[in-house]
Amino acid sequence: NLRGAFGKRRWDISKLIYMNNITPESALARWRGEEDEEDEQEENIEDDEDEDFFTKKGNGITVGSTEAGKQKVNEDTFIPVMKTTEELELKWNVEKLGQLAVKFLGSATK
Amino acid sequence: MLTFQGTRNFRLRLVLATLSGKPIKIEKIHSDELNPGLTDYEISVLRLLEQFTNGSKIEISYTGTTLIYYPGLIIGGSFTHNCPKSKSVGYFVEMALYLAPFAKKKINISFKGLTSSHDDYNAEGIRFGLLPILEKFGVRDCQLHIIKRGFAPTAEGEVKLIVNSLLSTPLTLHALESAKFTKIKGIAYCCRVSPSMVNRLIDTARNMLKPLGCEVDITADVWRGENSGKSPGFGMMLYTDNKKNWRVFAEDIGNPGETPEDVATRVVLNFLENVENSYIVGPNQLGLVLVFMLLGKEDLGRLKIAKSQIDETMIWLLRDIKQMFGVEVYLKEDEDDESCMIATVRGVGFTNTNKKIA
Repeated sequence: NLRGAFGKRRWDISKLIYMNNITPESALARWRGEEDEEDEQEENIEDDEDEDFFTKKGNGITVGSTEAGKQKVNEDTFIPVMKTTEELELKWNVEKLGQLAVKFLGSATK
Repeated sequence: MLTFQGTRNFRLRLVLATLSGKPIKIEKIHSDELNPGLTDYEISVLRLLEQFTNGSKIEISYTGTTLIYYPGLIIGGSFTHNCPKSKSVGYFVEMALYLAPFAKKKINISFKGLTSSHDDYNAEGIRFGLLPILEKFGVRDCQLHIIKRGFAPTAEGEVKLIVNSLLSTPLTLHALESAKFTKIKGIAYCCRVSPSMVNRLIDTARNMLKPLGCEVDITADVWRGENSGKSPGFGMMLYTDNKKNWRVFAEDIGNPGETPEDVATRVVLNFLENVENSYIVGPNQLGLVLVFMLLGKEDLGRLKIAKSQIDETMIWLLRDIKQMFGVEVYLKEDEDDESCMIATVRGVGFTNTNKKIA
């Protein structure tokens, strides 16, 4: 197909940002070349069981999953959502710290 | 009238409406939740806006899910704002920072409530992370004093925001070159717990940052007596300045049951992430920088950013800016560094009318 012949389409982020017909999530996915994965995910939406839509939390019932609730809380902030401490601990090993040390003045690795 | 849906960028949309002088309508405010309508902290935001401005008009629907805001003039002045316990004072101070330099009167506002939380900037984050950003745009005399600390649940803290530099137009920013970070600084603070907690925070952070090979200087800040509130808590903030005086920071506080080592580990890891994912400004400072660049005079401002900084939050912000001011931010690949992009913003030539008349 065309995509196979010419490689992946390169999107201009400046245009994607202001395309109101797509969500910021899909704009980012297109720009990063992850749109195929996104499409697959969209196709699989119907396969997802919605059993835990009503999740009991504490004394009351919360509508939607806890993750969705968290996202709603974070909609009004510029503080980025960080990975979990476990993920970050795995990432930031001594070798990786050594790579970052280049950004610091007087680092041992300089 | 511009219409928005949901509570995304709730404060910023109100701020941009105030600065542009355009009325806005926000619909579907928490409409799909069990308790629909404006929350206590959003109502508090509107109260703050009412105190901050003169002549603004707010209409809220019966269910609280729709809001119409007609902006007035930014007056500022001296007053006290009591923040609800559901949000930290940082949530409200952050909003005030966007408006304060364009007010008619000098700003001296006391914010009472929770001084530290996970979801918003803490008092340290604003003082050491956001105020230096304002300096770059010409707001030089701007301070945040922590009068009392207040952790959850009692939240009896108090901070005072003082802004004496009133601008007519922010300076145009050209930030294309980064530099090496000099040393890592920070503050470890605690209230109503053993001071050894602070030492444990500092020791853990120092040990983790040792492989970077640079100087680490973390100050201990132990609060006692009346000014420490009735609730115990501890937290830490780390920041680093580069040789061009740009700063990257990260902060957090302890959850119930967490050890100081857990908190210090999380703060250090978040700090490392922020340093890695930033070129000139950190990811948590980008919103403020872009809005002030937008408000600059009708000239092109440029800022080099890391590609990893382009996220959904930034796209939502840029879309809101376009809706409100009709200005698009142009992002261009950097020819010298493929991990970076150059954001070019044409200022709208915002003028502080109060300043002009005076």
